[in-house]
Amino acid sequence: MSETTYEPSADPEDVGVGEHLPATVTQKSLNADILRMHARPGKIWWSVFLLDLLILAIGGLAERNQIVYGIGVAGHTRPVMWASYVTNFVFWVGIAHCGTLVSAILFLFRSHFRRAVYRVAEAMTVFGVMTAGLFPIMHLGRPWFPYWLFPYPTQRQIWPNFRSPLEWDVFAVTTYLTVSSIFFIVGIIPDAAAQRDQAKNRFHRLLGWIFSFGWRGANYQWKHYYSAYLYFAAFATPLVLSVHSVVSWDFAMAQVPGWHSTIFAPYFVAGAIFSGVALVINLLIIIRKGFKLEHIVTIDHMEKLAKLVLLTSTIVGYSYLCEFFCAWYGPSKFERDMFWDRFFGHFWWSGWIMFTCNVIFPLLLWFKTVRRSTVPLFIIMLFVNVGMWFERFVIIVSSLAHPFNPSAWGVNYKMSWTEAAILAGSFAWFGMFFLIFVRVLPAFSIAEIKETLVPPMRRKAS
Amino acid sequence: MNLFKPLFPLIDKLIAGPPAKFTGVMGVYYYVDDVTETVRTLRQTGHGNLRVFSPVPYHDVERALDQGTSIVRWVTLGGALLGITGGFALCIYSVTSWPLVVGGKELISLPPFVVIGYESMILLGSLANLFGMLALTRLPEVKAAAPWDPRFTEDRIGIWVPCAGETAVKVRELMRGHGAEEVTVHA
Repeated sequence: MSETTYEPSADPEDVGVGEHLPATVTQKSLNADILRMHARPGKIWWSVFLLDLLILAIGGLAERNQIVYGIGVAGHTRPVMWASYVTNFVFWVGIAHCGTLVSAILFLFRSHFRRAVYRVAEAMTVFGVMTAGLFPIMHLGRPWFPYWLFPYPTQRQIWPNFRSPLEWDVFAVTTYLTVSSIFFIVGIIPDAAAQRDQAKNRFHRLLGWIFSFGWRGANYQWKHYYSAYLYFAAFATPLVLSVHSVVSWDFAMAQVPGWHSTIFAPYFVAGAIFSGVALVINLLIIIRKGFKLEHIVTIDHMEKLAKLVLLTSTIVGYSYLCEFFCAWYGPSKFERDMFWDRFFGHFWWSGWIMFTCNVIFPLLLWFKTVRRSTVPLFIIMLFVNVGMWFERFVIIVSSLAHPFNPSAWGVNYKMSWTEAAILAGSFAWFGMFFLIFVRVLPAFSIAEIKETLVPPMRRKAS
Repeated sequence: MNLFKPLFPLIDKLIAGPPAKFTGVMGVYYYVDDVTETVRTLRQTGHGNLRVFSPVPYHDVERALDQGTSIVRWVTLGGALLGITGGFALCIYSVTSWPLVVGGKELISLPPFVVIGYESMILLGSLANLFGMLALTRLPEVKAAAPWDPRFTEDRIGIWVPCAGETAVKVRELMRGHGAEEVTVHA
């Protein structure tokens, strides 16, 4: 037998002190803890799920109403023809950005705290895009023709206009849905194999079998898997930056006062990450409490995410101020009037809700005690999401309501009950997928969290 | 009463996969350094076709196996190049196949086509990456290429060496001498 010259590494990867899990967590206990989420649901889960389905049914009825009676049942009124549906679309696309940020960008930066939280964020991304994609379809006068948006020629051989930001949006959003879904499913493969092998219930074992694709964890599989994962991350990173930039160009390419600005792309991307991380914090707080997983998703993880919210809040706040400065300093009287109108005009309340929730409340996150307390964190993140919905409302509705032509300033847009029900239904649609997801697939990356543990070594490294 | 009970045998059969016959030695380990030493020794004794099954990838084991770099990146690059070329080609073809000047703009105006080319590059690159990975990892794997132990997705590591006869006995002894918890000879 040859003499061993090999020096084993007794430590896990170079992660921060707070990212190490408690010593009680072992590879075996990790499997058990995470697969424990698949136990038979209790009364609370069923109550929430049924309530969710009820709200979804109301939203579905409202949509049925709109299909039968026409788009007129929504409160859209000239010149505010892009109102709540486009607001909802931008809001949900924004929500969807967090997952790819956490999965891809933090993966490339080797921020290991992502391991405990990225699956929830990725699921949120996929379900967020699935929700967002409904709104452009609902907003069509004839929602049964959404495929007209796709790049194929009409009978007269005329193609869609590839110079239009709306066509860019089709490419960006469908690419984002495809790539984020692939990223999500590929990430699940090793954990689904654990579910296939360890789950007690046959239904869960079958799902594990399907989603694992027959994964065995062989050396050659890990090699190609992680190599491919790196390239998924490398593609997803520019994608996440491009998608919300393209969404912002839906507005910025137009001449409307309040929209025609070069700051829109970075401003939208920062806002998207801001709202997405806020929602993932809310979801994680509920999941870690509900499933007693505080030892896996530790308060250190929550604090790091809260710091991301704080950072993006400052970027969003800077963008607001920058927009105002440009309007004040720039030559366009219409632009100045519009920005004044945002905070002191007909929709003044929405402007102030936006500013307070997105800039003022997140200032509390400068305090470590707030970042490390789940109740204040949960409340702040709820406000952030309210604020971010209103940000899109302010950008879309208040800008359209104050165009170049003063005769159009008699603002009369009011959200109809149909729009309100569809908005509520969108949250229920998202919630339905999420509630099912946490019960049927591993909501945390078992394999990646295991990498954070100290590998078992017989001989400790010197 | 479980309505799905009649499906249970079918589910069990699906998960178990088709019956297979294996010839070789399977060692089950707990310690990573034991695995690393076994792999190095096995490779030195000419067993280059061994397989290691583990719940997570261990860098020490990867180094001992000296696997080299994955070629999936070339597949991905091919997809990305096809995507960017295809995206631009689609836009240019569409405006030249029915030339319709709008607002006095150039028919082939590249800046707006960048978005289509860029998104197509990411889409096709990612799809190529996915299919390349699936092909190289031989997924979906319906018929197992080696005996399987569910503990390999939990906390144990397996080393599978395809061999028979006298060699299998030697491999079994080698594994036992290197800290294997269990060694099974499949003949």
